[in-house]
Amino acid sequence: MRRIAFTLNGKAVECTVEDNETLLYALRERLSITSVKEGCGIGECGTCTVLIDDEPRYGCLTLAAKVEGRDVKTVEGLGKADALHPLQQFFISGGAVQCGFCTPAMLLVAYSLLLKNPNPTEAEIREAISGNLCRCTGYVQIVEAIRDAAPLFVRIGP
Amino acid sequence: MLHLFSYVSARSKEEVLSLLASLPEAALIAGGTDMVVRMRRGETHSHLIDVAGVPEIAGIEAQDGRLRIGAGATHARIAADAAVRKVCVALAIACSQVGSPQIRHMGTLGGNLANASPAADSLAPLLVHNAEATLESAGAVRRETTIEALITAPYKTTLGENELISSISMDALEGYEEGYRRVAKRAAWAISRLSCAWAIREEDGVIADARIAVGSCTPVPFRPHQAEDFLKGRRREASVVAQAVGIVLDEIRRLAGMRPSFVYKLPTVRDLLTSALGGLSCS
Amino acid sequence: MFIGEDLDRVDVLEKVTGAARYAQDFKTEEMLFACVVRSERPYARIVSIDLSAAMAVPGVVRILSHREIPGEKVYGAIIRDQPFLAAGIVRCVGEAILLVVGQNEKAARLAAAKVRIAYEDLPSVSGIETAGKGEVLVYASGSLMMRKRVRKGDVEKGFAESDVVVSHVFRTTYVDHAYMETEAGFGWMDEAGRIVIKSSTQNIHYKRTEVARMLAVPEEKVRVLQATTGGGFGGKLDVTVEGFLGLAVYHTGRPVMMRYTREESFLSQTKRHPMRIDYTMGAKKDGSLTAVKVDILGDTGPYASYGGAVCLRVAVHATGPYDVPNVWVDSSFYYTNGPVAGAMRGFGVPQIAVANESMIDEIALSLGIDPLDIRLKNAMKQGSATSTGQVLSASVGFMETLRLVEPFWRERKKSKKGQGFGLGCMYYGVGNTGVANPSGMLLELGEGGRIILHSGVCEIGQGSDTALLQILLETLGMARSEVVLDRGDTDTSRNAGSSSASRQTYVSGMALYDAALKLREALELEGYYRGRSLSDIYRARKGEAPLFFEGYFNPPVSGLDEATGQGVPYATYAFATHMTEVEVEEATGACRVKKVHAAHDVGRGINPRGIKGQICGGVAMGIGLALMEEFVPGKTESFDTYYIPTSMDMPEVVTMVVEDPEPTGPFGAKGLGEPALIPQAASIVNALRDATGACVYDLPCHVERLKGLLEARKKG
Repeated sequence: MRRIAFTLNGKAVECTVEDNETLLYALRERLSITSVKEGCGIGECGTCTVLIDDEPRYGCLTLAAKVEGRDVKTVEGLGKADALHPLQQFFISGGAVQCGFCTPAMLLVAYSLLLKNPNPTEAEIREAISGNLCRCTGYVQIVEAIRDAAPLFVRIGP
Repeated sequence: MLHLFSYVSARSKEEVLSLLASLPEAALIAGGTDMVVRMRRGETHSHLIDVAGVPEIAGIEAQDGRLRIGAGATHARIAADAAVRKVCVALAIACSQVGSPQIRHMGTLGGNLANASPAADSLAPLLVHNAEATLESAGAVRRETTIEALITAPYKTTLGENELISSISMDALEGYEEGYRRVAKRAAWAISRLSCAWAIREEDGVIADARIAVGSCTPVPFRPHQAEDFLKGRRREASVVAQAVGIVLDEIRRLAGMRPSFVYKLPTVRDLLTSALGGLSCS
Repeated sequence: MFIGEDLDRVDVLEKVTGAARYAQDFKTEEMLFACVVRSERPYARIVSIDLSAAMAVPGVVRILSHREIPGEKVYGAIIRDQPFLAAGIVRCVGEAILLVVGQNEKAARLAAAKVRIAYEDLPSVSGIETAGKGEVLVYASGSLMMRKRVRKGDVEKGFAESDVVVSHVFRTTYVDHAYMETEAGFGWMDEAGRIVIKSSTQNIHYKRTEVARMLAVPEEKVRVLQATTGGGFGGKLDVTVEGFLGLAVYHTGRPVMMRYTREESFLSQTKRHPMRIDYTMGAKKDGSLTAVKVDILGDTGPYASYGGAVCLRVAVHATGPYDVPNVWVDSSFYYTNGPVAGAMRGFGVPQIAVANESMIDEIALSLGIDPLDIRLKNAMKQGSATSTGQVLSASVGFMETLRLVEPFWRERKKSKKGQGFGLGCMYYGVGNTGVANPSGMLLELGEGGRIILHSGVCEIGQGSDTALLQILLETLGMARSEVVLDRGDTDTSRNAGSSSASRQTYVSGMALYDAALKLREALELEGYYRGRSLSDIYRARKGEAPLFFEGYFNPPVSGLDEATGQGVPYATYAFATHMTEVEVEEATGACRVKKVHAAHDVGRGINPRGIKGQICGGVAMGIGLALMEEFVPGKTESFDTYYIPTSMDMPEVVTMVVEDPEPTGPFGAKGLGEPALIPQAASIVNALRDATGACVYDLPCHVERLKGLLEARKKG
């Protein structure tokens, strides 16, 4: 077991993890972050996506020990029910959510994209989310929501 | 659930080499996109040495007409790098198509080589650029090896137990028409079923240099040198291209025998190379 | 006004903030973990089971077999033939044999991996053609699970009178639901000693019935709750984890959780039926269809699951949405030792649509008639009689869907090599085929003056919770804030049937409308619409007058004649037309779907944003069916070896809605869930023919297959 210290959604956290533990497991089982999902466990569905230093990574393929000293973001840090991030608002108003299982990951990837590229084309949006599967929506309204949220994008955290 | 192993994050190349030499049953991990999947499917190691944070193997730099890419450089960085996009076009394209955006930010060139999947996208471009890998081990031991000598069979390398791939150097090609195409079963995030890399230089209307590599077709990707030699000195005409392509297909059949997948792969190689060699863009 | 409004989904806030709790997101202190030991053989007798190594794993609590099942040992949605846990014989790879319960997931899975089973292989049946020969059998009683027939008119006469007859054999293969959330659930025993199960599911009352039967307890002793469910598509209709959880809780008295790994889901869960469709269609030279003869073979695996529903539905829909005077259909589903095939979005109609839409295009081609014109000529309309002799008296918006697509179709232009356009049309009976499938809904005037909607309808992402709320608010003329939703609990809701067959908006919507009318009448009498508050009304009524209002609806259908299939299988049908543009790269065989125009007759649109979402999702699944999805037993393991479309595989989608109101539906609404998918693969196949001349008869037509077809055309 080792103790790791990192920033989670803007707060300093510490956690004891096994060397062979994935970040997905540590977040879900030790830190009760259930928004990060296990859809396949081998990095082929994207539902485990987290942001590490604002870049999307698969939590199921990332060893927990690797995030020592890093900045980790999950959707819980994007916005709360009484203070939604524009991306969350546009996902709601755009019909981008059906069963919702892929939604937290999609929001994180969208956040990372708009941070780097404030005015993405539709092709760029599609490419950005091409590592996240969705079985319900056909992606159309997800892409539209991200496109429409772009002008109102805000950076989160301090 | 992964088998138990002990994890250490290395801070320098020295540390990596020293750990490799001293820890039993140790393996390297960078992005983990191959390693973690293999471990989930049963592969075991006593120790994992994380090289993702080692600065000496992360850089990309031009050096005497060649480009040297650190083994720890991610596919995303390589695809975006200005130097790579200028003098190693095929590699930039290939790296931009590996896996998914997340995989490209996690996976490294060194990891791609060490895993040695026959479908690894970086291999055909590296062959076209006469790439050589630098392998290091403790005690300042260093050797260079060509990609052909490094990857000998699917998932098999000649990498020694205590060796680290530290960097890969390759020809910087300017004045070439260069490209990379892959074929997969969906538009993104799919294993290459077939890939071709090429770099052609014309001088005075005649082919001065022709480099071709075909991946995912034969047990290891290869350069059809006979076809390349045929092209040198000839004009870039339909009949010349057709003959050269024929030589490539013969070489594929010689190397791999006749496989069921060749029903579709050979015509596809034929058509992709005909376009590429004929100067028609099909990227 | 709520109907036709883009009301925000009732569950969307928790989904975008990560607060939504899916089945595997729950955790309690003393929760055990259960997992299944599965067969590695397709057909074998279990000779011996050695549990010694498994039981020695630290943390193992119990290992349960069929012997520990107190009540019924088999379950099934239509025919009860599938063992919860195998009793001495396994009939497919992945069949459940034992249930291992451990202190945690690690211990349970480790123990499961250490169980040693010795099998004696039996000659197994793989594939429909083998089953059809009947030389090797899964069951001594015979290889045929079911045969359904449709007979109308005289096909031989029809073909004799035809100027053109086309005939081909189409083949489709196993497809997986591939919902993002795998099967999961947890169970516990409440203070009253009842077994409670909360799972990812498409139905709750059915699951309760099966669990109660398995445990030999009255249904009131079991409670089933639906957790937020991450997709269903037909894969969570059968009992998945519920039976196992019930058994584990029964024996341990402790809370137990289960979740399938993705590999396990692919291995053991039901699949879309592979089919062999031998299709013959005839027409006169003016394009009017004369006769259709179809022989359908389906591979249902060793257990019936929803095979009977697919077998019948595919026979009924075999002609497509066209007037065909002479029809002969045989639909035969066989037992094999392949994966269990069951319900999957469309129940066989996506497969048959590929066949009938291809055939009508080939007829059009040989007669020199435009593919849209031949469809306009033969389109079902009000007054048409279906192949089962049902006269469609209302809500037949098919022509309108063709007309909406028409301007785009007429102005289509092939401006580059490899470009092609195709049409795909469909009709789909809403609700279960020719059988009762009622829904009950319950409204309550509750404490504090809130209206409580007690709904047993399972929201699986399709938007049913929100659509039902809109129907309720519209009927009552109330604001959203005045209604509370209590959903997915067998304790508080009436049986609303399964979320399948695109039936919930129509059937449960109508049952809800029925309840709402009764409540509205009561509120009228109480003066609510003259300004009296709900809390006043509640206080006055409490103890004096009913506070609960029940609604019920069962679509008026009739059973079908066994010999001829004649009858009224559905009370209403949805119709649609898809126009798809593709671009094929001849060098590689890669097909990119560029643009889809999708026109759907939904009767009445409840939530436009939700309609668009369903259609786009259906288009994606259709692209998967046509171009990339194939589950290969023994080879397909997970998403690395099973491809569903990514964002970069999607075209531009233009959605268009037709509202031809269904008189028996809530505000005229019908259904959309499966119709969204059904025409898409068919339109892609037709577009491929237009783009390349290649005729696709085997799905999926992935890049390698298409290149092969293109090469074959070049040579021959």
